[in-house]
Amino acid sequence: MTCLEVREHLPEFAVGVLAEPDRTEVERHLRWCAGCRKEASELGSAAATVGFALPQAPIPTGLADRVVGRIRQAAGAPGSARRVRTAASAAIAALVAISALGWGAVMAGRAERFADRAALAEQRQAEALADFREVVRQLIPGQEIPTQETFLTQLTPSQGDSGGGFALELVSETRIDFVIVTVNGLDPLDAEALPYRVTLANEAGDILRVGRITELDADGVADLIRQFDDRDLSGFTEVQVTDARGDVVLSGTVDQTPSSPAP
Amino acid sequence: MEGLLAGNEDTVRALYARYARPIFTLGLRLLGSREAAEELTQDVFLAAWRKAASFDPSRGRLSTWLMTIAHNLAVDRLRRETGASRPHLVLVDEVPEVIGADEDEPFMERDEAVRALSSLSDAERRLLARAYFGGFTAREIAEADGIPLGTVKTRLRTALIKVRKANQDKERTP
Repeated sequence: MTCLEVREHLPEFAVGVLAEPDRTEVERHLRWCAGCRKEASELGSAAATVGFALPQAPIPTGLADRVVGRIRQAAGAPGSARRVRTAASAAIAALVAISALGWGAVMAGRAERFADRAALAEQRQAEALADFREVVRQLIPGQEIPTQETFLTQLTPSQGDSGGGFALELVSETRIDFVIVTVNGLDPLDAEALPYRVTLANEAGDILRVGRITELDADGVADLIRQFDDRDLSGFTEVQVTDARGDVVLSGTVDQTPSSPAP
Repeated sequence: MEGLLAGNEDTVRALYARYARPIFTLGLRLLGSREAAEELTQDVFLAAWRKAASFDPSRGRLSTWLMTIAHNLAVDRLRRETGASRPHLVLVDEVPEVIGADEDEPFMERDEAVRALSSLSDAERRLLARAYFGGFTAREIAEADGIPLGTVKTRLRTALIKVRKANQDKERTP
């Protein structure tokens, strides 16, 4: 979408009535276009003014205490991921199902020769990635996972290692940022590799812990979800899965610029 | 904002005292029930606490940032509940307990908003309200009123720019 087209949509975008798919296209454009973003911000501020014009309604007694209580609860329980789990449970289920489908055949030894196995694994990964994108896209209407704020990457094995996976980040201005990581094809019999640590890093070298994988299923599959109540995931693009020996076994880089959408 | 970021209770209560009522009112208008409006109010302050670090005062006022969060969350909720790609907002006439509500408390943002909206023509004001509160797209308004789509879009843009200009003029006035 060009700047001209985007700006034609901005008034409707500002008042919240721009329909899909234009809304997603506009939001994607705004992430990288400073000029359009400035205009969107100005129109959005004007629209917010409209919200203040209503005759004021009486507010319920005790609501202040409930607001404070919720913030206190959230501040005291940064690891609580119930809300995100609800929103993302279907995505995780889909990930696990796809992962098992993709790697199950490989791990079951249907492709005996290494070259065949590698080629099949690559093919399965590509199919799984495409399937996952479709799953996420279909999830949007009913789930709290807006496409324009989610970024997906494939995790690839270090040289000589096997396995793969995906990482999905939600990076949002108004929602709780979270990351979902699924791994597959890791050796379930390599007990010394457990636990695996999953981390996010930014360019400055700051590292966020996503969590630990303490067990794998028979296909070498596991998944993690972590919400970051008090952190913004902007810039945390480097995903690493490290085994208990300290070796990085899987890694990937999340592209947080929707201006370069997947083909 | 540092206080909000740190979850300081006094800061949260101060922000609540200033902005909860217009946020609750917006929720009531858009979502149509006091329960939903209360949930929205809680969600807005929780989101503001979580996103306090991303608020940039050089890019806009705290009040409009909070109201934008409120409107976005309300519209998100409506989209989720209706499963539609655009919100189906509650019609103004169907909303209970807003008109005639207690307005004794002076509220600067409301005064400014009313003043800004008074700079619009009646047609522009109605158009803005139908979109912002009614959830009508430009195309729907164009079809309902029998006027070209481009005209509706232009009028909507003009109305928003006028509101923006009125706010800027007010900010420049000592």
